[in-house]
Amino acid sequence: MSFLELEQLEKTWPDGTRAVRAVDLSLERGEFVVLLGPSGCGKTTTLRMIAGLEQPTAGRIVLDGREVTHLPASERDIGMVFQFYALYPHLSVAENIAFPLECTGVAKSERLAVARRLAEQLELTHLLDRRPRGLSGGDQQRVALARAMARKPAAWLMDEPLGTLDASRRADMCEFIRAQQLEHSVATVYVTHDQEEAMRLADRVVVMSAGAVLQVGPPHEVYDEPADLFVARFVGSPGMNLLDAETSSADGGAVLRPRGCEVQLALTQSIGAGAVILGARPEYVRLDPRGDLRGRVVLDAFMGSHRYVHVDAPCGRLVALQPAHASVANGDEVRLSIDPKGLRIFDPQSGRRLA
Amino acid sequence: MSKAARGSGGLAWALVGPTLLLLIAFNVFPLVYNVVSSFTNAELIGGDSRWVGGAQYTRVFDDDLFGGALRRTALFVVCAVAVEMLLGFVLALSLQREFRGKQAVLTALLVPMMLSPAVMGLFWNLVLNGNYGIVNHALAALGFDPPQWLTDRDLKFWSILMIDVWMWTPFMMLISLAGLSSIPTSIYEAAQIDRASAWKVFTRITLPMCGPVLGLAVLFRATDALKQFDLVMAVTGPNDGATQTLSTLLYQVVFRDGKVGLGAAFSCVILVVVIALATVFTRYIDRVQARDGV
Repeated sequence: MSFLELEQLEKTWPDGTRAVRAVDLSLERGEFVVLLGPSGCGKTTTLRMIAGLEQPTAGRIVLDGREVTHLPASERDIGMVFQFYALYPHLSVAENIAFPLECTGVAKSERLAVARRLAEQLELTHLLDRRPRGLSGGDQQRVALARAMARKPAAWLMDEPLGTLDASRRADMCEFIRAQQLEHSVATVYVTHDQEEAMRLADRVVVMSAGAVLQVGPPHEVYDEPADLFVARFVGSPGMNLLDAETSSADGGAVLRPRGCEVQLALTQSIGAGAVILGARPEYVRLDPRGDLRGRVVLDAFMGSHRYVHVDAPCGRLVALQPAHASVANGDEVRLSIDPKGLRIFDPQSGRRLA
Repeated sequence: MSKAARGSGGLAWALVGPTLLLLIAFNVFPLVYNVVSSFTNAELIGGDSRWVGGAQYTRVFDDDLFGGALRRTALFVVCAVAVEMLLGFVLALSLQREFRGKQAVLTALLVPMMLSPAVMGLFWNLVLNGNYGIVNHALAALGFDPPQWLTDRDLKFWSILMIDVWMWTPFMMLISLAGLSSIPTSIYEAAQIDRASAWKVFTRITLPMCGPVLGLAVLFRATDALKQFDLVMAVTGPNDGATQTLSTLLYQVVFRDGKVGLGAAFSCVILVVVIALATVFTRYIDRVQARDGV
């Protein structure tokens, strides 16, 4: 049995909304799992059920070999970082960090020593006597993290901890959190709606939508092999290019015709004839003078190390990844080619991946 | 002050002027007049008054009634505010969670606070009346020896205190509720995660986080209780040795005995006492606010 196990976890609100539907998930000791999804997808509710702040309607939670489904939060061995930090405003930073130890009856000198040691690790020493209110978001964040670490809990739960920080701080904090997690080797469940953050942090990403888990896998798998259209769109920035297309079978595979474009794409797998949705990440689409797809540039977005060229083709909008130096002008007529290796085929009705 | 603000002196005076005039007419002038009167032997009836220097102040401190009223008022403030705070806070704690009919209970609890103290005094006069009051009727029916709530020398002060508690506990409850609801749920959740026991949550989180608001409530109630007048007037009248407070003593001296000069000296002394108390309170609250930034 895994270290943290969710079995068929369900949450239905009193008004009948099914916030979380039959979620199965297991974490190994020391694993970093990110729950990723848009707001309202049930990721925070799932996290709060693991914490014991929300009672599941059905299902089981097992932590470190012990069923904790109906135990109150105070009887689970968990450290949590809240979205808005939830620091105790009337206590000093040192007292905040030491509070979990104070609650378990650790002597004052001992718990303050732990607080000092953690503060040193997290570069908070100069703030120990301050109160949280005057601290910057990043500092408050680190205090919250130190508090979650103080008792050395079995698992860390983090609810969009970087949501209120600006972009540059966020990248630093991501790195920092990951480093701390690796050092302490604590099973961590982290909630975010930011797919970049998820990619950066996770051992495995859990993509959720409408209360259900759509896909679980390492970041590269979720990115390269999305299980359905939702994951293809939600993961990656920009998301996957998606075009309506028709398939017909051919020798040893299939032929794809994007609707509206005079172009044929060969597929080595065979799938049934009919309407499909064709997907390709921007890195498999390139400007190619010999390409069959014609279109007009509508946006050339420079990203520093590379650029995304947005092209309007008769069959739809495509984004192509280009080298940073290869600039084009809006309105340019260009030709594109799609690398068959990058083709992903989805069922237009169910959204599931076909090939 | 910026140059522009200083430049438009006319407008500034036009805006501040009316308030300033009202303040002078109704606050500053009476205060000054009172201080001046306290050095005279002015009487309510009979025009001549003469400068007597500090003689009135000597009489104030020699007066047995003054010391008694001061002690009684202090006892009243301390007991009333303490009991009201305690009961109000406990009520607020028990009303914190949601239950059916909460609104109705809240409304019912707020009624005493919204009625006029004079009316309350008369009302309790009837309820606690030794001969035909409903309380004694009930006590007698239960086989107890009914006490004389409003006429027993040792009891009537406490009866008035009880009426005050009945009136003002809802106020304390209301402010306590506001203080309690200002603590975000996430703080309690964090405490739960941190494995705080119910007692720990109460003593380390609920109480200290409500503290500044409760301090403010105590300040309001204490300054109000210091002026206790209406209930004493309605229940026993101003000249009862067992219930006389500073305010009713003042009333007795000026309006019954007609000794304006002595009364003025009394009120100057009371004013100094009140200012001293209020300063201590506000200092305390400033300190808490500076510390917690609440």
